Amino acid sequence: MSDLFIVDDLTVTFPTSRGPVEVVKNLSFTVGRDDTLGIVGESGSGKSMTALAVLGLLPRGAQTSGSVRLDGTELLGKSERDLRAVRGNAISMVFQDPLSSLNPYYTVGLQISEMYQTHQGGSRRAAKQVAIEALERVGIPDPERRVDHYPHQFSGGQRQRVMIAMALCCSPSLLIADEPTTALDVTVQAQILELLAELQSTTGTGMIFITHDLAVISSIAQRVLVMREGDPVEYGTAEQVFSDPQHEYTRMLLDAVPRIDDEVPA
Amino acid sequence: MTLLQVRGVTKQFVTRGEGAMAKKSTFTAVDDVSFEVELGETLAIVGESGSGKSTTARIAARLLEPTNGSVVFDGQDVTRAKGKELATFRNNVQVVFQDPFSSLNPRYTVERIITAPLSYQGIAPEGGRRAFTQELMERVGLNPDHYRRYPAQFSGGQAQRIGIARALAVNPKLVICDEAVSALDVSIQAQVLQLLMRLQRESGFSYIFIAHDLAVVRQISQRVAVMNRGRIVEVGSRDQVFGDPQDEYTKTLLAAVPRINPEWDARRRQKEAS
Repeated sequence: MSDLFIVDDLTVTFPTSRGPVEVVKNLSFTVGRDDTLGIVGESGSGKSMTALAVLGLLPRGAQTSGSVRLDGTELLGKSERDLRAVRGNAISMVFQDPLSSLNPYYTVGLQISEMYQTHQGGSRRAAKQVAIEALERVGIPDPERRVDHYPHQFSGGQRQRVMIAMALCCSPSLLIADEPTTALDVTVQAQILELLAELQSTTGTGMIFITHDLAVISSIAQRVLVMREGDPVEYGTAEQVFSDPQHEYTRMLLDAVPRIDDEVPA
Repeated sequence: MTLLQVRGVTKQFVTRGEGAMAKKSTFTAVDDVSFEVELGETLAIVGESGSGKSTTARIAARLLEPTNGSVVFDGQDVTRAKGKELATFRNNVQVVFQDPFSSLNPRYTVERIITAPLSYQGIAPEGGRRAFTQELMERVGLNPDHYRRYPAQFSGGQAQRIGIARALAVNPKLVICDEAVSALDVSIQAQVLQLLMRLQRESGFSYIFIAHDLAVVRQISQRVAVMNRGRIVEVGSRDQVFGDPQDEYTKTLLAAVPRINPEWDARRRQKEAS
């Protein structure tokens, strides 16, 4: 497994009226091709800030130090123009709420083709064909017709499929998914997780999957990073972290997860 | 003793169709739902979004009137109760909502929030409002010295405890929790669930616990009703619904719940037990 994505000693600092606050502290991890890293933590752990930092999407004023390398190329400190060529192309993202990530005024087909044309060029007709194929790949029935529909004409789970189709249309080498199933019903969540795993195995895309849900991490990630208040607490293979956690905080988190199959006292 | 009976309750909402000339149509959110809650027990109502579980809770709390059917509380039909009768009902049935910050007035102090239900009922607490507030704060695990603080000065878990204290202020017989722990981090969620169970042991009231999270429901309930598309598809004891589900939808729902790899989990627990 070659390392596709390497984060080394990443620190993110925000200036505040009470002095600088480090929201991500000395974070290091790697993601290989075909590999899924799960980043798990409670609110305020810095898991989403990590995603924004590697994409250069942090709010104004934030400072970063360390190194973020994709295929050997340093991303930290790159110009906005250079980053735009990376985002959506080599690295793409899926966020929690598909409705706020999709433009309600444009058909989903137009939004996917726009993404494709921006990065890959080509004719509008070719881009639309890419959009149809992308929708088909994520399991939207009747994609030739659905490509001309607007976001509100899709259910919540289908909208997340559209987001995934958009994220994958440029064949990225890394996909960052930030709580992509959190807003979904449990039956729909199961379908989306299955879809992500299947797409990953066919395309070989590396994935960073960010969530607060340890059970979801257990079902999708090969490696796990546990974060707390900006600190990396524990990092290892999923099997290590779940079967033999080294840190008290990880144990506490695992103990707090309500179980569905346990015997519970009456 | 049967505390609450919901009998054949249906709730229809009138919706506007698509387009300017569209006819109005009706949408049935809750369709002929019946269940009972015994005094001191916890009945969980689980379902996915749009299943009608929150509408059912709102009807049981008399925050909504049903289109058809009736709600009987303590032997009294309260479906169309008004005035004094409704006030008595509200005294006995309290609700804890999902988002503590939007259900607590940001301009009120904790003291004013917690004693508000008493003010509405025109009751003056024995020993004064402050002592009353502080005692309740202590019961729900909040620092009683913070009675003059505002909701924004508390964390999400603490704010939810304020909501719980407010619900308990009138000594209710039934507390309806509508996704009361869904917005909380997992470690905080575990603490609030423990708190809810302890309060019930101490005071002997009933819960209707509305949730989409089956694992949480399994922790807290004695009986479970599963809703899908406005109907109760299955109702039974917790062990029956989780251990031997009869309905196809219940089976699908249970199968879809993500689980920590059981083998890894067992190894960890073995290690920690030894």
